[in-house]
Order: sequence, then structure tokens, then C-alpha cells
Amino acid sequence: MSSYNLEIERIIRKIKEKKAKYVLLQLPDGLKPEAEKIVQEIQKNTNAISFIWLGDCFGACDIPLGLQQFQIDLIVQFGHNTFIKEFGW
Amino acid sequence: MDIILLLKSLVGKMELLLIDAVYQGEVKLDNKTLEYLKRYKSIALYAAVQFSSKLENVIKQLEQKGIKVVSSKPARTKEKYQILGCDIYHGNLNLKEDVDAYLHIGDGRFHPLALVLQQRNLKNFKEVVMYDPIAKKMSMLTLKDVEVILKKSKASLKLFLLKKNIGVILTTKPGQQQYLYSLKLKERYPDKEFYYFIDDNINSKNFENFPFIDVWVNTACPRIGLDDAVYVKEPWVNLDEALDAEKRLGEFS
Repeated sequence: MSSYNLEIERIIRKIKEKKAKYVLLQLPDGLKPEAEKIVQEIQKNTNAISFIWLGDCFGACDIPLGLQQFQIDLIVQFGHNTFIKEFGW
Repeated sequence: MDIILLLKSLVGKMELLLIDAVYQGEVKLDNKTLEYLKRYKSIALYAAVQFSSKLENVIKQLEQKGIKVVSSKPARTKEKYQILGCDIYHGNLNLKEDVDAYLHIGDGRFHPLALVLQQRNLKNFKEVVMYDPIAKKMSMLTLKDVEVILKKSKASLKLFLLKKNIGVILTTKPGQQQYLYSLKLKERYPDKEFYYFIDDNINSKNFENFPFIDVWVNTACPRIGLDDAVYVKEPWVNLDEALDAEKRLGEFS
């Protein structure tokens, strides 16, 4: 069991509610090993196909773009919550 | 703008679900840390999102020792007590009260180092105590821990004021893209030549391919222009520092 609450039931609920077909999972380095279990749970409980973002996941400010070509309809990013963008730092 | 709305405006029907991944273990200070913190009358408490909703025990422990606990909701976060790595300007913290020290709960140094960096221009530095509830270990951070970063920042700012050809780095990351804000550079420094570069992850190895650039300005996450700049031979400053370079230089001791 993970030391962190990955809220897998909430993710599955969201996939079903949205009827998502292609899901991208984006995890910070510390949580990347959990990807195996998350993909398996999604496969077991939904018809969605999961992709795992290989690269960095610095924060909610760092969402991958250009995913339309894979028809991704849901990105699930772990380890961050809503980021309020402001101009300047 | 909220990142979820921002993404919606960029990619239409694609949705974003953010999972905080809250730590499931107990978050409580050990006796050694509590004894150490007794020297302070007031403490500003912050944590990464994995821990920021689980601080009730810590607050109770500190208050029982007579320590006043304060905090804030920094500008880019959603919750009180939560800190981001980019909270490196004191004003962004929205902390209304003066405190004797900062306490960060979590593992890793990235977030607590933001609490050090946000004090870099303040007159009285307040110690940053880190407590890792997983390893049950306390450690401290001071300005000494960012000395190399600040030296590089100062040298780069001096060169920025002197040199003409400036490379402005923009990222495609929606939450870090600051193109419109970066246009202020041209207004502020009409005699300089600005060249705009776009990348996703900023890789400084690519700098050497553009030898006509004298100084680079980072407009993405400000930790890139501080922490990462140390490992790069080229001068590299953050946008905010560049826009106010003379004043910022004057603030270095």
C-alpha cells in the first residue's frame, strides 16, 4: 500500500463519468513507481486506455500539451493541487 | 487564472484531475524538535500539499508549548499552510505577521528552500526549520545554504545591465508561460536587443548553440533562474530580477 492517498476510486469514478477513453497519468518522480498499480486498477475497472508521462512533473504549472494527437481526454496529475497562475513571479 | 480553467481554454474538452496524494501516516513533531522550537515565540508554519491538510497535531503541539502559530495562503496556492517551490518572493507568501522562525513539514529540501529564498532581500533572516514526519528528522536551513545561488544571481544581474544581446526563454508549460509579461523588458531596456526562445523543459545545454547571446533571462519557473543557474557557465537571471535589476543589485549585501 502506498504511503500516499492516490484516490484511485475517485479517478475511476471520473473516467466513468466522463466516459474517458484515453487517460494520461502524470506523476512526480517520487510517485512514479505507483504507476504500475494505478494502470492495473484503471484497466480492471474501466475500458479506458492509460498512458504514463515519462518526463518531469514539476507541479500543476507543468501540464503536457500536444496530447490531442493521442486523443487524450483526461489528464490525471498526482502530487499537486490547483495552481493559480499570476503574471510575473 | 486557475490552471484547470487555463487548460480548458487551451485544449477544449480535455480535462485535468489533480490528486493531492495526501500522506497517510501520522504527522506529529518528535520531542527533540519540540524542545528546539521552544526558543521561538512565534512560528510561520508551511508544508507541501501532501502534508498541508494534516497539520492539526503539529499546531496543537506547538500551541501547548506556548508558541504562536501563524500561516497564510500564498498567492498561487489553493489552501492555507501550503507552499510551492516558486514562492520565492516574500510578498507572494501573503504572510501578514512578523515571526521568529519558519517551520516546514515534509520530506525533501525543494519547498523549504523557497522559505529561505523568499527572505534573501529581507533585513532580518529568520531560521527555517524542516521537519520530515516520515524520517522523523529535524534539520535547519539558513542563507548559507543558498550562498552559491545568490552569488551567481548577483554576477548575472551585473552582466545583464552591461550587455546588449539578451536571450529570453519562454516555456510551453501553460502555468509558467509569461510571454506578455516578458514584453516589459523591451519597454524597460529599449537599447538592448531581445531574442525570444521557446522550449518545454529548459535545457541549458542548448545555450552554447547561440553564442551571440550575452545573458539569458528565464521567464519560466523562477527556481530555474536561481537553483539551476548555478550549474551553467552562462549568465542567467530571472525575469523579475531583470525587470528591476538595479534595485535588486542594491539589495545584495
